Amino acid sequence: MRLYSSSGTDIAVVEKNFLNSSLDESLIVKLRAVPVVEQAAPMIFNLMDLTPEVNAIAFGWLDDTYEFNSLTFESGGRFHNNKPEVILGALLAKNLDKKVGDALTIQGSTFTVVGIFHGGTALEAGAVILPLDQMQLLTSMQGKVSGFHVRLRPAPAGEAADHYLKRAQAEIEAALPGLNAQLASDRASNNQFVDLAHAVAWGTSAIALAMGILGIANTMAMSVFERTREIGILRAIGWKAGRVMLLIEVEAAVLGVAGGVLGIGVGWGALQLLSYVPKTNVLVHTSLTPSHLLQAMVISLLSGLVAGAYPAWRGSHLSPVEALRHD
Amino acid sequence: MTENPTAPQLEVRSLRKSYDDGRIEALRGVDLSIEAADYIAISGASGSGKSTLLQLLGGLDVPTSGQVLFKGQPLDQIGLDDYRARQLGFIFQAFHLIPTLRAIENVQVPMLATGVDAATRSQRAEALLVEMGLQHRLNQFPNELSAGERQRVAIARALANNPSILLADEPTGNLDSVNSAHVMDLLRGIQKDRGMTLVIVTHENDIAHAAPRHIRIRDGRIES
Repeated sequence: MRLYSSSGTDIAVVEKNFLNSSLDESLIVKLRAVPVVEQAAPMIFNLMDLTPEVNAIAFGWLDDTYEFNSLTFESGGRFHNNKPEVILGALLAKNLDKKVGDALTIQGSTFTVVGIFHGGTALEAGAVILPLDQMQLLTSMQGKVSGFHVRLRPAPAGEAADHYLKRAQAEIEAALPGLNAQLASDRASNNQFVDLAHAVAWGTSAIALAMGILGIANTMAMSVFERTREIGILRAIGWKAGRVMLLIEVEAAVLGVAGGVLGIGVGWGALQLLSYVPKTNVLVHTSLTPSHLLQAMVISLLSGLVAGAYPAWRGSHLSPVEALRHD
Repeated sequence: MTENPTAPQLEVRSLRKSYDDGRIEALRGVDLSIEAADYIAISGASGSGKSTLLQLLGGLDVPTSGQVLFKGQPLDQIGLDDYRARQLGFIFQAFHLIPTLRAIENVQVPMLATGVDAATRSQRAEALLVEMGLQHRLNQFPNELSAGERQRVAIARALANNPSILLADEPTGNLDSVNSAHVMDLLRGIQKDRGMTLVIVTHENDIAHAAPRHIRIRDGRIES
């Protein structure tokens, strides 16, 4: 989301399909004529393999786009239109071991690194930005762009921000029929790329969670089976079924929480490892927030309780006589 | 339902217990009355039904028909868990101590069911083990104790909630003669000093004959 908001973009104008969006560059004239539009910047967005080990998000920008305002140059500066120049995010420059003045070959064409910048996000820090015309050549999109980023004029006094944004969307879509003017915040959170990444993450987590629950359930079922006689003893000396159930559930919960703590440790280690791998370090955040840790512990605890439920019920309903006879 | 002060402490009426869809009849209509502070031995051959009777008296199992009453109240109306926790102490032939707990912890386990606080649990468990002559074995695990010591820990556990009835199923069955005599002396002493009801199931004649009241069971019926 910060990819948009940190650059001051309010609205992105694209085709319906973000990843394959391809618009005529000339539409910029109509867009700039819309009264609410203060600035409009054409851009191309793509994923590129820069080396066999390193891929990066590549942007094509004009050299006078307002979006440069969100970047802080660590060395060098902006590129120039119509020149084979690029600027690199600091993380990407580190991965590629490039500094200002070095040459970088992209898909057979050689570019000079003219700037290294810090961005607000891991994506920006791992991005390469080229002049729009150079990007069009590389991607065979001469005269085409992926979309336009729009910065709106300030809302008129008395008009609420939400209302103004909706009005601006409507005006832009009216001026450019068939295109979508999407709020930058919605664009960032709803785009297919982010959705896909979220889906993969959730799918993997769900499988891991199911395996964890099955593992604990199996462990607890075995534990209950092996301690059948102990459970019989407890029932014989007056422990109620509910207390036996609680005992087994507490054990399952402890097992779940212990697994959660171990998982957090292993996960944190894996993140650290991924942050050193050039192919992945632009995609991972190595910081763990308290809310992530809390979520992980709550999920671990609930997993333990769910996994222990059936073994606990079964153990607590054993007949004391049968349980005491168990070998 | 409330307790009937004139009723026997334990009463069994027309008690039947069958297994395997009725193909095996362990008890075939037993009637028995046990007064408070009675000391009764139940003997019989293997498979005669004596252990089944003890299990039904102790609420470990439910009869196929008939009733077990505690002070005039049917057990199913009292609640079997409460009955076992507060009124009964069980002693088993195989001791049935929890192997992962120390002696003093094993004795505390029944008190968890009756809500005794931790300090009292610890004090009472230690006092009972001292009474059993195990003051030097408080922190041993069951596998570090001799058979006689294990049975004494089990007796201490049976007394943890100060029950009114002790049920012992072949309490000397796994002990040598010296330890058997020691355990029986302890049980008789406890019964006498505390005025508890003691019901012992045994196949050993000398133990059965030593009891003031001796019941023989044969083929699921009381013979004498």
